[in-house]
Amino acid sequence: MSAGETAISVQLASCHVCCKLAPLTEHNCPRCGSAMHARKNDSIQRTLALLITACILYIPANVYPIMITDQLGVADPATILGGVILLIKLGSIPVALVIFAFSVMVPISKFLAMYYLVWTVKHRSNMTPRQLTAMYQVTEFVGKWSMVDVFVVAILVALVHLGGLLVIRPGIAALSFAGVVIVTMIAAESFDTRLIWDEMEENKNDS
Amino acid sequence: MATPDQSQTTITTALIACHGCDLLTDVSELQHGETADCPRCGHVLTRLRDDGFSRVLAFTVAGLILLVLANTFSFLSFAASGLESVITLPQTPGALWKYGMPEVAVLVAGFIIVLPAVILVLLVILCLPLERGIYRPWLIPVARSVFIFQNWAMVEVFIIGVIVSLVKIAAMATVVLGISFWAYAGFSICFTLAIYNLDRYQCWERIEQLGAA
Repeated sequence: MSAGETAISVQLASCHVCCKLAPLTEHNCPRCGSAMHARKNDSIQRTLALLITACILYIPANVYPIMITDQLGVADPATILGGVILLIKLGSIPVALVIFAFSVMVPISKFLAMYYLVWTVKHRSNMTPRQLTAMYQVTEFVGKWSMVDVFVVAILVALVHLGGLLVIRPGIAALSFAGVVIVTMIAAESFDTRLIWDEMEENKNDS
Repeated sequence: MATPDQSQTTITTALIACHGCDLLTDVSELQHGETADCPRCGHVLTRLRDDGFSRVLAFTVAGLILLVLANTFSFLSFAASGLESVITLPQTPGALWKYGMPEVAVLVAGFIIVLPAVILVLLVILCLPLERGIYRPWLIPVARSVFIFQNWAMVEVFIIGVIVSLVKIAAMATVVLGISFWAYAGFSICFTLAIYNLDRYQCWERIEQLGAA
């Protein structure tokens, strides 16, 4: 047993909470008591199921208004994309880009990246395992930044209420969008990049 | 040691299995100030800092003070056509609740105030004994909670949310940043640095050492 081998090849599992190495036969970590697995349980199935859930939630998040502006009694609902277009018309290009990046590009590229990662576990990819692991780390890191749009709604709703003159109300898309962000975060957490490396080790042994 | 096989334990404690690719790396030679990266996938394994726990404590205490300030004074104020509206930080999720979205209100309050506050309090009762070198029975459950909760705090994301909101409504009215906004901005920096300085591997090794002694 030495450095340079994988933990699983020497019959060890690493605790995901405290990094303790313990024999594969242990069910609970001897140090912190967390459940132990050599690889995350049903990683592929869970990740896929959560990704599909997130994709479904993403539809109402874009179709329904995320916030409604009542100006002098006239209601003006705005969707996520509608808000971005409005900002461009008003000339706030940088803010429009921030919202577009976090609310549209990040979730969509996260869906695509996660599907691709799940796919590579069972199929050969042109990318090296190291590149795929880096891709996963970026995906995991940017996940929570999509919440920006929900926070913007929360702040505007609290701040903008000037009698009957101007009121901003939250739309139902805020709830679905918060759901998308949380479910994709759990999906990223359920994915195990070690499966990509296991696949590589197996191919190395075959050839 | 908890495991009966002493020889095996002494060998394995110097090894870390990479969470990204499962490769075993020996970190027993690591010096103060050094960082160990996984040679195969580049994942950061551990950083060794002799003063790690006092750094975490310093940022945690500063963060807690700033969080109290952030919840005390006015956060933002908004004025147009002679009317003014002033909000405090807790009113932000509160308004969502009022408009019939209690789920989103609870999530927002949890991500920006409750969870970060809980994490900081837990860090104090975790790092104070670790820094002093005293074993306490609550160290293990507290450390577990910290490492599970830390991914779900969205303090820095909220700051960006505030800035985006300001630009969005700057054309409609005059917006003024209150004392609490600056306190929260400071809190977000302290919180991020506290979490950054807490090393998972070193923290658990210390708990195990203290428990065995």
